Amino acid sequence: MPPPQPTPKKAVPAPDYKTLKSQWDAAKRKKDAENATTSKKAAAAATEPQQQPPAEPNSDEVKLRELRRAALEGRRKKAYQSRWLWTAGFWVWMLAIHLVGLGYFTSGFLLTRLQLDDKSVCEVPPAPAAGGDNILGDWKGKGTVEGGCWHPRTFDKAVVVLIDALRYDFTVPVDDNAEFHNQFPFMYETAVREPNKAFLRPFIADPPTSTLQRLKGLTTGTLPTFIDVGSSFSGTAVEEDNLLMQMREAGKRVVHLGDDTWESLFPGYFEGNLSRPYDSFNVWDLHTVDDGVIEHIFPLMERKGEWDVVIGHLLGVDHAGHRYGPEHPEMGKKLRQMDGFVRELAGKIDERTVLIVMGDHGMDSKGDHGGESDDEVQAALWMYSPKGVFGRTKPEFAVPPATAEERPVNQIDLVPTLALMMGIPIPFNNLGRPIEEVFAGPRGNSWNNLAAAERVSAAGVKRYQASYYAARGMAEESASTPGSPADLWDKAESLVSKGNWVAVYSAFAEYQRETLARCKSLWAQFNIKNMILGIAIMGFGVLVLLVYVSKGAEDDEAVDDPELDDAEKSLEIMGVIPDSELPLENVLERKLVAAAFLGAVPGLIGGALHAYLKGTGDYYRGAAMAALTSIATVGVSLYEIKETLWTLVPSTLWGWMAAVFTLTQSIGFASNSYTIWEDSILLFFITTFGFVTALSALRIQSLSDRYMAIYHSVLFVILGRLASASKLCREEQMPYCTSTYYASSTSSTSALWQLAIPFAVSLILPTIIKGYLQPTRSYEGLAPAWIGYVFRTGLFMSALYWVLDAADNGNWIPGLPEKTLKNLSVYNAQMVLGLAFVAGTTAFMWAPPCVSIVTSASKSTPTRAQVAILGYGNAHGARYLLLPLNFLVSLVLLSKPMGGGAIAILFWQILSLIEILDLNSLSSTPIGPVMLAVLGSFHFFKTGHQAVLSTIQWDSAFIPLFTVRYPWSPVAVVMNTFAGQILAAVCVPLLVLWKASPKRKGVLGEVSRKLGGFVGYFAVEGLACMMWAGHLRRHLMLYRVFMPRFATAGVVLVVVDLVGLGVSLLGTRGNTVAVGEVFGWAE
Amino acid sequence: MPLVDPITMASAVSKKGAASQTVTVESSVSPTVETYNLLPVSINQTPLAQTLRHAQPLLLSGVLALGFSSLVKDPVAAMSSTTLPLTAALQAAYAVICLPVAGRGGSDAAKKVKPRPGEKASKKKAKEGGNNAYVLAALSLLITALVTPFIYVCMVLFGAPFLTHGSHTLLCAAHLSLLGLFPLFYVHGVDASAWAAVGGFRAPLDETFGGLAGALVGAWLGAVPIPLDWDRDWQRWPVTILVGIYGGYVLGKVIGGTVAWGKKF
Repeated sequence: MPPPQPTPKKAVPAPDYKTLKSQWDAAKRKKDAENATTSKKAAAAATEPQQQPPAEPNSDEVKLRELRRAALEGRRKKAYQSRWLWTAGFWVWMLAIHLVGLGYFTSGFLLTRLQLDDKSVCEVPPAPAAGGDNILGDWKGKGTVEGGCWHPRTFDKAVVVLIDALRYDFTVPVDDNAEFHNQFPFMYETAVREPNKAFLRPFIADPPTSTLQRLKGLTTGTLPTFIDVGSSFSGTAVEEDNLLMQMREAGKRVVHLGDDTWESLFPGYFEGNLSRPYDSFNVWDLHTVDDGVIEHIFPLMERKGEWDVVIGHLLGVDHAGHRYGPEHPEMGKKLRQMDGFVRELAGKIDERTVLIVMGDHGMDSKGDHGGESDDEVQAALWMYSPKGVFGRTKPEFAVPPATAEERPVNQIDLVPTLALMMGIPIPFNNLGRPIEEVFAGPRGNSWNNLAAAERVSAAGVKRYQASYYAARGMAEESASTPGSPADLWDKAESLVSKGNWVAVYSAFAEYQRETLARCKSLWAQFNIKNMILGIAIMGFGVLVLLVYVSKGAEDDEAVDDPELDDAEKSLEIMGVIPDSELPLENVLERKLVAAAFLGAVPGLIGGALHAYLKGTGDYYRGAAMAALTSIATVGVSLYEIKETLWTLVPSTLWGWMAAVFTLTQSIGFASNSYTIWEDSILLFFITTFGFVTALSALRIQSLSDRYMAIYHSVLFVILGRLASASKLCREEQMPYCTSTYYASSTSSTSALWQLAIPFAVSLILPTIIKGYLQPTRSYEGLAPAWIGYVFRTGLFMSALYWVLDAADNGNWIPGLPEKTLKNLSVYNAQMVLGLAFVAGTTAFMWAPPCVSIVTSASKSTPTRAQVAILGYGNAHGARYLLLPLNFLVSLVLLSKPMGGGAIAILFWQILSLIEILDLNSLSSTPIGPVMLAVLGSFHFFKTGHQAVLSTIQWDSAFIPLFTVRYPWSPVAVVMNTFAGQILAAVCVPLLVLWKASPKRKGVLGEVSRKLGGFVGYFAVEGLACMMWAGHLRRHLMLYRVFMPRFATAGVVLVVVDLVGLGVSLLGTRGNTVAVGEVFGWAE
Repeated sequence: MPLVDPITMASAVSKKGAASQTVTVESSVSPTVETYNLLPVSINQTPLAQTLRHAQPLLLSGVLALGFSSLVKDPVAAMSSTTLPLTAALQAAYAVICLPVAGRGGSDAAKKVKPRPGEKASKKKAKEGGNNAYVLAALSLLITALVTPFIYVCMVLFGAPFLTHGSHTLLCAAHLSLLGLFPLFYVHGVDASAWAAVGGFRAPLDETFGGLAGALVGAWLGAVPIPLDWDRDWQRWPVTILVGIYGGYVLGKVIGGTVAWGKKF
């Protein structure tokens, strides 16, 4: 804010600011000297002596002055409010830029596919029902599961054995001595020896090659995308139409053995008394899962009446790969064990049953998978039945392909094949086509059977495509384009009546191939153009934000002299100088917002016009153009105010530290290791900061200040190390990490001793906060009642919630009616949140400043009363502190016992950080907001989270609610997930307001710039994650490391933007109004 | 609320009074400006000292190179049996031969400016030390050993394992203490103000202080390769830190003793 320029006309000799200042300084010094000699009153720092004004000349004059004062106050308040609106406008613009940038990148990067809820039904086959067109005519039991819904049934039962990471070359003879070759010959031998009973083919997975995504593909017949836009809010259960769902509909009893991923994907699908799920997490254990499957599958072979489908999922090969890599004796041992297992199992299969052995993906040379390299996608598929129904359409196909490049089938092809074999409908969303060998007949010449199977599955694909395009609101390509799917379909249909089944079969196969290719390009292609555009928008946005932050730093220092302001105000009231009009048009934020709008409009129109003229229909590109042009105009208007990029280069140690902390981490996100160990790196930075400030404290002159600074630095570091004991390890950190967040690494409930943590917090934390308020005599006003009782009660009730929750889970009190404890705990949680947000916000809005006024006799002139205001020096900060406390209570509740402790430590660290910054005079450096951001990020990990989707604590939605309710459930989950960052964001204004007296000028602008530094940290990280994720989009770890980290960074950025705008800035406004009402307007 | 007393304002227009007031105010505000001025340490001029001064970095690097393969295999055994004793011997010899004893070096001249608390003791000590450099070196080694647990705690705070690898970290801390702090103990003793200057990074650069700064930065940078998933043996705790300490110390010492001598941060 530019200083109001007084233009005195008379009485003041030299009408410039400096003269005014010198006059005032002189007066002040004189007064100071008097005070120093005559008054030895303590608490000088925290109080400001006020003296009664001398007798007024006459009442008219007094009235006039009073009027002038009221008018001045009113004008200042109005000016402040409008300035606040412009500042908020700037942040709304920033949020919009971040949203457009993130959204644009994501649209090119996160491949999304709409899930359709349609289900296939046995009685309604997708092929046109026109009778004469039916290739096979009617068969016995057509339209029923017994006879075969859409195609004559071949098998009653199926045994599906999934050997995780069974690469194709493990199963065929290869001329070398590798550990993993020639160890598993049984399947190849049977396919060669008895081609009618067995066949073996390469089985190509669609990346990402992670087991979960593969199981989805293998059961639904769809292509995987990272995020399937579904209707469910949480959970991993497959909701699309799938094989298991169809089996259940058809009344088939499915038994599952092995990898428990199936249980989470298909909850409640399996026969509970026969199924045996095993934990898939422990890659160090090669045998438990396999031994379990083998132990339980053979008894089932003797009890054939109790099941229809058995799914056995073995993990040993995969774990051996992860742990040792393929070239290891353990791998050979494992493959030989599998060979023996399959050999024995095949002997138990009867003629009504088909045995399918397959891999869900392969493994790379190190034994890992997840990416899309050849080794990872090439699995093996083997089918066996003593019935002898399999055929080859050409004699040379009798021998299984030597490599996976020859005659591969897609993994999704299993879906229609298995469905038609078992007589059940093909799942609605399927894109696969029937496997030739199964339908070609023992002699390989049943072309009508093949054509019929191919046609019914093609018709299913066509039906799905039509529904998908309709749901997306897109138009299908018309049949007039040669080579389009619609064109191919018409051609194939026209062939049906001619009866050349070979041609019909290949025509429908051609249709399916083309459709699959289209879908792949639609769902599996990165849109590089959109990604680059998103990165550009984010990048320029970050640049503008940083310039904005560094820009203000110089402006603020010039005018921040409260006494000067007082002097000017008094002169104005006395009428010595006329009112200083606050030139609103000079407000920086106003200029920027105006520039943003000015820039956005042509961009929006231009982008939309371009889309209209080109007929591309991508009108959303207008948003990107608007973002870019408005960034450009804002950038230019910042530059206009004599700003160069050079000021962004740090000039002090602290500036360099802020830059190093932010940039090294951002660069580190290019490496999976540094991303995986982010929590340890953040602790390292926190300790580094504390270490350097402790050393820097040795430069402080005043000894008491020096000791306090060292004390807070040491405390800051120790608290950080203490918090680091709370860990929730991600899979990649194993085995160098031990989870402590829950009772054990395999549990997600708290241990008994952990329940004590929130109670300790409620006991200790309010006292600690009191300790930070007392030195400035700010534990006054509302503070003692609110912090000492209300806040403490809230914390205590949060602690109580977790005891009730544990009692409910553990059934501690057996005689209690059902739901009693659940009801109690939920209502208790609702009360805590009500206390924090409803009562807390009300109290914050209406609370007077945390000061109290004491009157004593003045020592210099005992006839006069001297008024001292306790807490004056921290009037802004102490009052604002009430707002973070409200959030603190709710975050402690939502963060589970261990997280509650971490959040309490975070707040303690923030208070120490503010003291460190104050004592070392660092408030004007960027290290404050950056350290706050580092702290927030650190405690993201300490509240039981990692940058992976699996650590989202979905159950936190049910802390204050019985069922999922929008928008409250997502809000609860977001508050649980980003508790650290949210609390840090709410505390940003404390960097400015702490120990700010009511006369501090330019508070709003400074808060906004500190917020800029804070958001800037997350924006730089978000930009870096975005760039790396885009650059490493073919990296093996993309879906495990880089993509989730980018997603985290993106959501964090939006969250801190929203909290900064909606809580920090709004809270600052409320706080300034409340302080201004009492002490007069400083702004 | 009454605004600022307008009368006081009016009475303050006397410029003369203001000027004289200014002087008194300023002098009363900052009476404790640190005039204490540490001088950079000069290396003894004897030929032996000059030779050892240049040989020491090479010898230290040799110690590390000699012990490196066993260090990678078994850090604790290598540190306790090879690198630590050899380094201690080298540092002690370097201190006795090359460095001026406590109180004799640079800080001596500085003390004349303003007497500080704690100075008397160190002067006394300096005299004793002057009589026998060996006694002083032994005393400094003792202090070095005493501060090692403190450095151990610092390392744990930075994220070193808390419950495991205790001897690894402690030995590593001993190396940092021996390389970075021991020469400073030898030249400054336990002079609180000298240490305040060193701790606040206000001391001028010389071989001792440069070595400390280098060792600290080296130890800090040594943590960088640890998280990488390269599965190399040398990533074992605390090998990288130790290498960082040696490298940083040698570099900091050489730079501090030559091009940056006498300069300040």
